[in-house]
Amino acid sequence: MIPESLATVGYLFAAILFIQALAGLSNQETARRGNIYGIVGMVIAIAVTIGIVADLAWAWAIGPVVAGATIGVLWASTVPMTSMPQMVAILNSFVGLGAVFVSYSSFLDPPAGLTGVEQTIHDIEVYVDVTVGALTFTGSVIAYGKLGGMIRSQPVLVPGRHLLNLVVLGVVVGAGVPFVGEMSAANLMWLSLNAGLAGLLGLHMVMAIGGADMPVVVSLLNSYSGWAAAAAGFLLSNDLLIITGALVGSSGAILSYIMCRGMNRSLTNVILGGWGTQAGGGSSEGGEDQGDATSVETDEVVQALRGAERVVIVPGYGMAVAGAQHAVSRLTDKLRDAGVEVRFAIHPVAGRMPGHMNVLLAEADVPYDIVDELEVANRSLGETDVALVVGANDIVNPDAVDDPSTPIYGMPQIEVWNAKRVVIVKRSLSPGYAGVPNPLFYRDNTWMYFGDATDRVEDLLAAID
Amino acid sequence: MVMRIGVPAETAPGERRVAATPRTVDLWIRDGFEVSVESGLGDGADIPDEAYREAGADVIDDAESVWADADILVKVRAPRQRSDGRHEAGLLAEGAVLISLIDPARNEDLIDMLAERGATVLALDQVPRITRAQSVDVLSSMASIAGYRAVIEAASHYGRFFGARSTAAGSSPPAEVMVIGAGVAGLAAIATARELGAQVKAFDVRPTVETEVESLGARFLELDIPREGAEGEGGYAAEMDDAFIEKEMELFRREVPETDIVITTAAIPGKAAPTLVTNEMVASMRPGSVIVDLAAETGGNCEATESGEASEFEGVQILGFTDLTSRLPTQASDYFGRNVSNLFRFLGDADGFEVDAEDEVIRGMMVLERGQDRWPPPEPAAPSPSDEPSESAAEQAETSAPAPAAQQEDRTGLALPVAIASAVALLVLIGLYAPASFVQHLTVFVLACFVGWRVIWDVTSSLHTPLMSVTNAISGIIIVGGIIQVTQGASWATLLLGAAAVFVASINIFGGFWVTQRMLGMFRAEGSGKGGGQ
Repeated sequence: MIPESLATVGYLFAAILFIQALAGLSNQETARRGNIYGIVGMVIAIAVTIGIVADLAWAWAIGPVVAGATIGVLWASTVPMTSMPQMVAILNSFVGLGAVFVSYSSFLDPPAGLTGVEQTIHDIEVYVDVTVGALTFTGSVIAYGKLGGMIRSQPVLVPGRHLLNLVVLGVVVGAGVPFVGEMSAANLMWLSLNAGLAGLLGLHMVMAIGGADMPVVVSLLNSYSGWAAAAAGFLLSNDLLIITGALVGSSGAILSYIMCRGMNRSLTNVILGGWGTQAGGGSSEGGEDQGDATSVETDEVVQALRGAERVVIVPGYGMAVAGAQHAVSRLTDKLRDAGVEVRFAIHPVAGRMPGHMNVLLAEADVPYDIVDELEVANRSLGETDVALVVGANDIVNPDAVDDPSTPIYGMPQIEVWNAKRVVIVKRSLSPGYAGVPNPLFYRDNTWMYFGDATDRVEDLLAAID
Repeated sequence: MVMRIGVPAETAPGERRVAATPRTVDLWIRDGFEVSVESGLGDGADIPDEAYREAGADVIDDAESVWADADILVKVRAPRQRSDGRHEAGLLAEGAVLISLIDPARNEDLIDMLAERGATVLALDQVPRITRAQSVDVLSSMASIAGYRAVIEAASHYGRFFGARSTAAGSSPPAEVMVIGAGVAGLAAIATARELGAQVKAFDVRPTVETEVESLGARFLELDIPREGAEGEGGYAAEMDDAFIEKEMELFRREVPETDIVITTAAIPGKAAPTLVTNEMVASMRPGSVIVDLAAETGGNCEATESGEASEFEGVQILGFTDLTSRLPTQASDYFGRNVSNLFRFLGDADGFEVDAEDEVIRGMMVLERGQDRWPPPEPAAPSPSDEPSESAAEQAETSAPAPAAQQEDRTGLALPVAIASAVALLVLIGLYAPASFVQHLTVFVLACFVGWRVIWDVTSSLHTPLMSVTNAISGIIIVGGIIQVTQGASWATLLLGAAAVFVASINIFGGFWVTQRMLGMFRAEGSGKGGGQ
């Protein structure tokens, strides 16, 4: 058993290393070092914890670690990058589950010598941690299912769902009163009712959200998992847990905020109702010069790309679905070898989780320094000869910029229409997740290059030689 | 019954703009309307009748039948007395919808006449200044044309180059241009003068426009007194006190003599324009200098302005043209027509046409509804400063569009005090009742949130996915909670729960760090070789 002050210092050191791990992510060069900091911090944290537990039941600690480590490493080394959103979702769920376990166990075996207010606070902490943990757990499991295609991604909207949520929330709070109130045998029942209902709430909430709103859900659950860990820290009077939980919680909160801003919607709006569920607003159909879309064949696209000085590629979720990133990367290499300047433009909410497109492109060996964010990309689209849109739709919709009646009005867009020519690789003219028609398809300088993203890009590769 | 839109020729002298271009007509036809335009409508804007006919309109020689047959009548100027003595308002069909500039504050007689016809009237000069309505805002699109044209007029009356030029004979300095009022017209004037190569300085009482002015490459003239008071309730400038006006005048007295071109754009809708450039200041300018007064129609910002005329005062030319937009008729008609067709997005197509008074934009523009007086519209529920940063103190008629961001700030502006108050209350309660240890943890928690907040904002967006996986890994720190619980003396239940927590947390820790490392390995910069994935 190590002295308490040494343990505190050890935790402090671990906390600093965790902060460094996150700070390292501010750019690609320092990111890997940051991850090592994180690992070292974790090792210190675990060592210190083992040090302060006088009579550790070693078998009970080592066994699960070995099992968990095996599963974790195997999984992490085999998961394809397209499945990262699912992986993050399920890891979020584990934190929630862990928090529930820890709270239950602290409830069954409370620290000795709690009196009066301390007891009350401990009870509240147990209760809140179980609520947040259970909600995170079920919500993340559903998100995992939806992202992995095991559950249909479409929002499932129960009639009167807001009322249902409110009632469930009311019962959760209500059941907390007798739980905190006095010691009784019924307390375990109240706590389990809480766990069940909070779980239901998480499940229901995520079921009602789908498709392009998933990046927000994933970041939000990431945030919850942090708050669950922080709550466990309060419960166990463990500052390291509190700090780490707060870091993770703020991280998820900021990501959710960035995602919402990327769609010009408020968090409440995302959680309470998707685009698909809003009254459509004045659809712009017929309002814009619709005309006919121009469908083109491989030869024409190749000619346009060959003749271009500057090409900007705009990837969307469609690219991830088709697994086209490798083909896109090879196309990029070919064009660059031929002296064409190629850049990528990434919308904050492209894909199914924050930064998803960047990871896919990195996996396909696209150098990160030719990948631009929205604002940077928009500045130079005017000098671009060809904008190649691969599997994206709602992020390249001119109506969002100049038609106030469309539901996505105000959502920042990659303004590909400023390029001399826009080539859109897409299966059909159907609208995207937001369900709004895209007048870009019908513009004079837009070419529709219909088909599966991978097939079409492969066609381009074959023809460009 | 098919709805018919009528566009009669403009009868006001010197008015060369039209309310609908062939493009507008084309959109109407697609929306299922029938359209009749008066023959010769587009003469002033160089649009031949043939172009309208091609777009699908019926071109009709007789103005009266254009008026009488229209369910919806669209024009630029408010109806007026015609040369044959009949008033256009009397030609309007019973119960028809009229869409045009109206200026309801100064045209009560006209409104009475229209009310007798049972008309529904939408005034294009009353478009509410909200984000949704920007695409309909005729005043703002016309202002930007007027600002451009003002500079062109100034350049053609000015005896020198605007930009600096070097020739074998020697070089000439750039013209010094001063723009008073940086609303839409002012900003357009600044941009145009800069494009011609002039040096531009601008003044506005609203400090908020400083960055816009500077972003166009102009110098923003500062008053050497605090300007907090300049923007008052509802974005309208507070009544300027004498000291402020004196400082403003002093600034003008100092700057105007060194200026070659002065362009004033300060007008208050429905009121006389404030006098900002006195005769004394005009006299102090070099001979050959030019003043363009965009507020000439409402009395002018310059004391010597003669409305509608070009005049001369002490060797300085003063242009008080009130038809600047008609001097760019094709462009102005194009913008006007676009604004009008954007308005139809709010009104619907031929089948769904409805003047919906519930809609904020429509309600704001509505002067009459089936003959009933509807003007002025009720005050918006909570007019907020940032919502309408427009007509300001020293009196801008027009303004830059209120950005969506402004509305957001506004919302937090209300929510913030409430949030702070409840946070303070909560903290006081905790301080009073909670034990010391809890407060200590709370301190750590709050500080950690702030650190997290700071650190995470620095994370580059391309690494957001690794950020999430690494936070997954470190939130596996919950393992600490599990380890603490698995002790020799613990009950079976506690042991099992603790071990389960350790198990799931381990997946997180190992899986999270591992996959992060793998991902980060993939990110490579240009030329750093193919850094393989695994």
